[in-house]
Amino acid sequence: MTFRHLLAAALLAVLLVWHSQSEYYGFELLAEVAVFAILAMSLDLLAGYGGMVSLGHAALFGLGAYLYSWLGGPMVGLTAPMAMLGATLGTGAVALAVGAVAVRVEGIFFIMITLGFGQMGYEFFFQNKALGGDDGLYGIRRLDLSSVGIDLSDPGSFALAVILCAVVVYLLLAWVLATPFGTVLKGLHANPNRLRALGLRVHAYRAAAFAFAGAVAGFAGSISAQHTQFIAPHLLNWTTSGEVLIMLILGGLGTLVGPAVGAVVLVLLRHELSSVTDYWGAVMGGFLILVVLSRQNGLVGLTERLLHRRRG
Amino acid sequence: MLTDPSFWLVQGLNSLQLAMLLFLLSVGLTVIFGLMNFVNLAHGSLYALGALIGYSIAEALGSVWWAYALAPVAVAAVGAVLYITLIERLRSAGPLPQVLVTFGLIFVLMDAQRYLWGTDALGVTGNVPFSGTIHIGVEPYPAYRLFIIAVGFAVFGGLYLLLNRTRLGAEVRAGVDDAETAAALGVNVERTFFLVFLLGCALAGLAGAVAMPAFSAEAGMGVGILVPTLVVVVIGGLGSLSGAFVGSLVIGATLTFGTALFPDFAGVAMYAALIAVLLFRPHGLLPARG
Repeated sequence: MTFRHLLAAALLAVLLVWHSQSEYYGFELLAEVAVFAILAMSLDLLAGYGGMVSLGHAALFGLGAYLYSWLGGPMVGLTAPMAMLGATLGTGAVALAVGAVAVRVEGIFFIMITLGFGQMGYEFFFQNKALGGDDGLYGIRRLDLSSVGIDLSDPGSFALAVILCAVVVYLLLAWVLATPFGTVLKGLHANPNRLRALGLRVHAYRAAAFAFAGAVAGFAGSISAQHTQFIAPHLLNWTTSGEVLIMLILGGLGTLVGPAVGAVVLVLLRHELSSVTDYWGAVMGGFLILVVLSRQNGLVGLTERLLHRRRG
Repeated sequence: MLTDPSFWLVQGLNSLQLAMLLFLLSVGLTVIFGLMNFVNLAHGSLYALGALIGYSIAEALGSVWWAYALAPVAVAAVGAVLYITLIERLRSAGPLPQVLVTFGLIFVLMDAQRYLWGTDALGVTGNVPFSGTIHIGVEPYPAYRLFIIAVGFAVFGGLYLLLNRTRLGAEVRAGVDDAETAAALGVNVERTFFLVFLLGCALAGLAGAVAMPAFSAEAGMGVGILVPTLVVVVIGGLGSLSGAFVGSLVIGATLTFGTALFPDFAGVAMYAALIAVLLFRPHGLLPARG
């Protein structure tokens, strides 16, 4: 674990150096990287550590974005910090309700039921004309920190703030994984029957993990809405969940820092390849297939194995 | 509108027509799913491939009938390549690698389709059979849609006989029921799976070729239909032929009547049905395993 914390520190250093060398385009990329790093780390808690592969995680992310826009917009009119808090807690509450139902099935059925719940949310926002329908909503406000001398409408400051959020989320998730709850979560993945025999309420722990990961996804959504200042139903679509799963696999499942690395790689690849070729999807898809077939646990797993071999 | 019998007749036929397309797609997927616990998210891309290949064949040979005959063969050939290069290795790898590899395949196949056929919707220009309309009561109804319904019923009948009257069918049923025991009793489960996979791909190709004259062919058209197909598979019961048929009828009716009567909730209703089945009948409406 210490090695992975070192990797995380190194990744942070890379992002900060990148930030210091960036202008507008770089800042926008960095903010996107950090948002997806938060989302991917939260899915790692669920899928990598807890063994619950969800194709509905992006729906919670999108829900957080919509909740932030609704709570902070003219319809409710909360201040931005309260809207962020409301989006995080509200998404967590929805995730708790969904999780309480979804954790009753396992394996491929869990993938299907989370897909079903997620697409239900996608259809809801897609059809809801009051919330912009498939055109989405524009003009979402950012948090105002001018009272402490920070101007978040500046792309550089905003990117730095999102990176800071990602660091906080990393520390929070690492702490949760180190608590007894985290130990139970890993045990649920490894051998749920043994935990059941020990008298633990497996469904309750699973649902709690689903709710917690969902709340973090909602938090990421509330940041994403402020970043692009535009939200649309595609945020909730299952293909977005699929992209986040790609980040997990690229970086290394169940390593926490890996999904953040995966977010950097995927966001960068997508932007760089799409400026070179129209067929970047094929390149990414092919790359993903090769990574899965290599049977390495992503870039982090590969690094660890190479270091281990050199030592041993 | 609701008291008009022709509304119910036309929407009933529309839902039957959608159900038959979903059936052609889901039947291959469900047997692959049930037989080997393999999730193929790229199944919808094979449907798109069938439509596009069918379009090219129909344009080159001047008859859509050639497309119906050859597009399934071509898609099955693509399926064979996928099976040998990727799918065989993932057989025992668990759901996550399968989901991810076939998710990656969606993008690869979509871009391959864009590269070869461009991004426009392609409508076949040659002779299309049953292109007129038939008067049902007072309403004119496109005859081609009735043809799609007939193809669906014919395939269901053919597969029913294949499954219940042939040796391959018996091996498939044995494999779905208990692959290990079937293998121990001398069934070559690997070979059975390969054949079933090819048949599933061919049916996806047929669905695309049959849909193409009515809905035109377009790169990426398989992504939208994938999720309803997965819903049908789960609702019907993994590995179940009659389950896929009944599930298709349920989802076809839910989507068609839902869109006509409650446009805001049609999609939501379909997923609600999926969740209800997973919770209360996790093995589907007509489970394949007794």
